[in-house]
Order: sequence, then structure tokens, then C-alpha cells
Amino acid sequence: MSTIDPNSSDPAVEALQAAFGAAIIKRDSLRGIPILTLKKDDVPVVAHYVHTHPSLRGTLSLLWAVDHRPHEARYGLFYLFTLTEHRDWLLLSTELRDDDRLFHSITPHVHAAQWYEREIRDMFGLIPKGHPDLRRLVRHEHWPKSTHPLKKDFQWDTVLKRAQGEYTFRHIEGEGVFEVPVGPIHAGIIEPGHFRFSVAGEPIMQLEVRHFWKHRGVEKLFEQQHMTAGVPLAERVSADTTIGHSLAYCQAVEDLFDIDVPIRARYLRTLFLELERLHNHLGDVGAICNDTAYVVAHSHCGRLKERIMQLNDRLTGSRFLRGVNRVGGVALQLTAEQMSGIVEELNDIERDFSEIERILSANASLTDRLETTGVLSERIAWDHGVMGVVGRASGIDRDLRRDRPFAAYDQLSIKVSLYRYGDVRARMRVRLDEIHESIRLIRVIRTQMPSGPIMADPTRTPQSSEWALSAVEGWRGEILYMVMAGQEGQIHRCKVRDPSFVNWPAIQWAVIGNIIPDFPLINKSFNLSYAGNDL
Amino acid sequence: MFRIIKKSLKTRVVTGQYPKTESASRLVSPEAAHKMKPFQHSLTIREVDTGSCNGCEMEMNALTNSVYDVERFGIHIAASPRHADALVVTGPVTVNMERALKDAYKATPDPKMVIALGDCALNCGVYKGSYAVAGPVDRHIPVDVRIPGCPPRPAEIIDALQALRLDENRGPQSLF
Repeated sequence: MSTIDPNSSDPAVEALQAAFGAAIIKRDSLRGIPILTLKKDDVPVVAHYVHTHPSLRGTLSLLWAVDHRPHEARYGLFYLFTLTEHRDWLLLSTELRDDDRLFHSITPHVHAAQWYEREIRDMFGLIPKGHPDLRRLVRHEHWPKSTHPLKKDFQWDTVLKRAQGEYTFRHIEGEGVFEVPVGPIHAGIIEPGHFRFSVAGEPIMQLEVRHFWKHRGVEKLFEQQHMTAGVPLAERVSADTTIGHSLAYCQAVEDLFDIDVPIRARYLRTLFLELERLHNHLGDVGAICNDTAYVVAHSHCGRLKERIMQLNDRLTGSRFLRGVNRVGGVALQLTAEQMSGIVEELNDIERDFSEIERILSANASLTDRLETTGVLSERIAWDHGVMGVVGRASGIDRDLRRDRPFAAYDQLSIKVSLYRYGDVRARMRVRLDEIHESIRLIRVIRTQMPSGPIMADPTRTPQSSEWALSAVEGWRGEILYMVMAGQEGQIHRCKVRDPSFVNWPAIQWAVIGNIIPDFPLINKSFNLSYAGNDL
Repeated sequence: MFRIIKKSLKTRVVTGQYPKTESASRLVSPEAAHKMKPFQHSLTIREVDTGSCNGCEMEMNALTNSVYDVERFGIHIAASPRHADALVVTGPVTVNMERALKDAYKATPDPKMVIALGDCALNCGVYKGSYAVAGPVDRHIPVDVRIPGCPPRPAEIIDALQALRLDENRGPQSLF
């Protein structure tokens, strides 16, 4: 699988080798990503160094576990860091042998690991020693003890018995402190989740988010699939990100099968990803306005979003662009007339939207509601590894389209929108900028689109336990997939990470000091997926 | 203000500007149509998501935009099951949402309709068999109407809701 390069002179790896030579068991690399295998006990100190050292400033991008049984009695743990200073990836790994169930938590040093480690505890039964919060995350209290669905000896279609148990919320006590429970079923047409506010008077003192109501066992379902057959499931991780998820999945599998996706297919994938960004951003701008009771803007934006959904339907037969991505390329060809039709439609939408934008920016009471509401500071955003639209509104200058180009983004220059205020208005402005940028990109795609085939065949078959990582900048942020091959083309493990999983904990900080009636507005400005988070 | 009015005048009415679909009357059983009688002119819906991929939610939301505008048919979306005539349930019922669904059903006053929306609500879709899924909606609460699709288009949802209101004596209700 991995091509070991003994002459690797990656500065980050050299720095770590110099500082922690004794802790490093093995140096390796996978398609350009340096991998350091560490002794289990040394993981927290190395992770702390990677996270805090000024020359690295790594944010945790993904943390996943793999159960290697039945072939080997061990669990692997992998920590993927994005090094801010290099805009590059670094992977730390360690393993638990035989009956070892304890690993050292890095959460006290690297905040962003908190949910990942609790998830690993629930799904694999491995215990993060030193984690400050060992409550259940995915498994709700009525799940029986010792149910760890991603362990290989757990059958995917087990019928779960019901048990008794109680989840304890964090309480704030004192005179005049009230708790307001909201959910799982909410007032609007939105997905289920539970929010527990502690308030004294009007301001929110604490919010605790309790999720995973929609846990459907997606990662276990992937393990029942053949590698080339997982696309429909990836498309249904979160429907609003159909293209983002299916693209990330396809890229990982294509890496394993060594498929060189034709350039025209890569352009088409880029086009559809931008269309997906457009319909979601247009909807979000309207929805943010709606939560300030500014219904005019909501109506106009809803109308424009609908135009794009109908455009999607005309182009692909699916309003959500389902069935477009396939392992090896895309399923449909667009004619030159269709391409110019798309650009004409988008030119008209942009003209229309610019008029709405002028109405929005002239409205002082709207601006008043959006400014200084739900501030997520750059520091907290960085600590939590916040990404995507929410990150870029809080000064986190990350966009995979520019930093790790995929599909056809290496042929396009992306203007990344960046704001530092971190309030609802900043998150809306990022979306406004990205709407124009997406339309501009689609115009460029039309002029640059080469002709040629749109599907390619595999050139090899991956060995069991080979794996690949893939990253896509969806409209919400970074979507990561890790696909590991199993026996006879089955998937051994598929780690799915929607940006919502990372950004949800951060919303607990953004609401502090705000009033509960502003929570829907703040929540809408994050607009995170419940389905993509709960899996 | 003038800018807003000018924009509205320029935009004109967009309601109804969507491709039409085939009639959905085949989805409606005589029992469901009969049960629907009290809600012929006004139907208030509470949407409950029990584990969908959020596609059905997006299409339900689209029903309220100015293109589909279901309010023109007397269909409203309520904030609480206590105010609802009908529950629209989307998604397979997950192990974690089973109890909440039953609570919402109990909280809905009689007489009530249950509409299972989307393939997952009907037969669990791609999540069928998973340890985390406790079966389709009709395993947990009685279902009156089934609207298939992954997800059904908003126009198809409107057609199904309209087909429900076929009055056996008077033929289809007029839309306006």
C-alpha cells in the first residue's frame, strides 16, 4: 500500500523526529501524506506538540479507529492533523494489541478530539483514558451495555434489546437559573436534536447539545457493501450534500483502484459541486433572514433556490443531483447547449439575486439583528478545529478547493472569502460571496471544459487492508472519507466525517450570552446537518 | 421600501411554476379518503423526522416556498403535534427516535391522519436491516397514507395531499 520514502525531507516530520525520535516506531507515507506510527503512551505528548508548536499549528481533522479482526487481534487509531503553517496533512497512528482496550485521551490537549474519542468509545468499546467527559454520545441510554456496533464481532443486523439508563446533563445551579429543554422534535420542519439551555434571566449561560437521534448505522452499512457499490449510501448520508459526500466517497475508492478519472468528468463533478453549493447557500441566506422575521428576503431566496433545484432536475433527473457521481467518473454527459443553458440561467439568477442583496444591505434593522449575534471567536474556532463557512467567518483561512485541490479545482483559481467577526452577519457574508464565486466558477468551467470520456476503468484491485483518504470542500466545509478495502472487494471500514460533526460542539460556545430567541438565528447561520452528524 | 415593491412587481407571481407530475390518486385508499373527510378544507400538518437523510425535510420545506405555496390549498404546517390534524413522518424509525415518535403520535389529537413520506418511512430504504433502525413507520404507529419517492418531489407531495381530498360524492375539490 504505502510507498516508504526513506529520503523524505518533510520539515514537519523532521521536526517531530528530532523532538520525539524515541516515540516513533515507524515512518511511512501514503500518497504523499506522512504517517508516523507512535508508541501508544506517547500519543498525547506528540499530539500536543503538533497542535501547539508554532511551526506546525496542527488542527485535528479526523480521528478514527479500525478493528483489524478477525485477521489480526489489534485496533488501529489514526489522528489526522492539518498543519496550518504548511496547509498540509500529517497522520499519527498507534495501535492497541490483543485485549488492550485503553488508549490515552488527547482531548485535554487537543480540544477537537472530544467527540471523536467518545464516538470511538461507543462504537468500538475502547476507553479514552483521561477524557474529561465519558458519557455516552452515539448510544443513547436505552442501548444495552457492551453494544459496540463497529466491532467486527457485532452483526450489522443485530436487533437491539432495550435497557434502562439515564443521561445526565451538565447542570448550572443557583438562584434564578432555569433549564430550558428543546427537542428532539422541533417547531419547524427540521431534523431532530436536543438542546438544553441554562439561563439566568435572558442570557444563555450554557447550552448542551445532545445529538445522534438519527443514528442509522451508516458506517456499519458501508461495511456490508462492495467498494464500487457504496455511492447510493454515500448520497444518503446527508441529502443536502449529495454531491459532496458521493464525490468524497468516489475519490477514496478511485484511489484504491488506481482509477485516473478523465478530466471532463472532473470538470463535471466540479460543476455539480458548485451547483449544490449554490442552492444551499441561496436557501440559507433566505432562512437566516426568515429567522429575523424578514420574510420578503426569505421568499425571494426560496424562489431562487427552487430555480436551481428545478435546473438540477432538468439536467440530471434528480433535484438533489443523485446518481451523478459514479466510481470512475460521472454518469451523464452534458451537451454544449445544456452548458450554455446553465450559464444563462445562472446569469439571470445572479442579476435577480444582486437586487435582493441590495435590498438586504439597505435594511438597518436586519443588519442590527445579525451583527454581534452569536459570535464565535477565532480562538475558540481554532481550538475546536472549526471549518467551512463557519470557520471562514471566524478567520479560519481554510478551503480545500484551494489548499488541497480535488476534481478540477487545480485548474481554477478560487477566491476564498474570509471574515474575522465570527457573528451571524459574517457567516451570511461568506455565503453571499460564495454565491457569486460559484457562479463565476461555473462560467469559467464552461469556457475551459475539455471534451472526452466521462468514465474510466479500474487498473488494479486493492489488497485487503489497503486504505485511502479523500477530502472534498462541500458547501458546509470539509468532508472526509477513509475507505479501507476488505476481502473480495468488500469495504472493511469506512469512516465518514461531515463538517457538522466538528462544528456542532462549537455552536455551544457561539450562543453564550445571547438570548434564546436568537438561538434559531444562530443555529440557522451555522446550518449544520443532523443526518451527517449522527450517521 | 420602493425597492422592495419594485422587486415584487418585477418578479410577478411565481406560484405554480413547476413541472406537473402524474396524478397520485392511486396512493390513496378509500379508507384514507374517508378518514380525511373532516380535513377536506383545511389540513394542519406536523412533520416528524425519525431518521431521514434530510432530503424529505428539504422537499417539505420547499412546499412552503412561493413556488409551491401549499397554504393556497388550506394546508398549514404546525409547530406542535398538539395543533396538528396529520403527522407526516419521514425516515426509517431509528432506535433513538422510536420513543419520540410514539410520544408525538400520542400528543396529536384525534381524529388524526398519519402520512408516511418517502421510501425510508415506507420500507427503511438504504438503511433496511441496520442495528440502529427499528423498522418502518407502520411498525410503530398506524399509517393511513404512503407517499413513495427518494425523496418525493414537492409536486408529488402536493398531488398526493390533493388526491386525499377527493370527495367521493362531489369529485375533486377545486383548488382555489
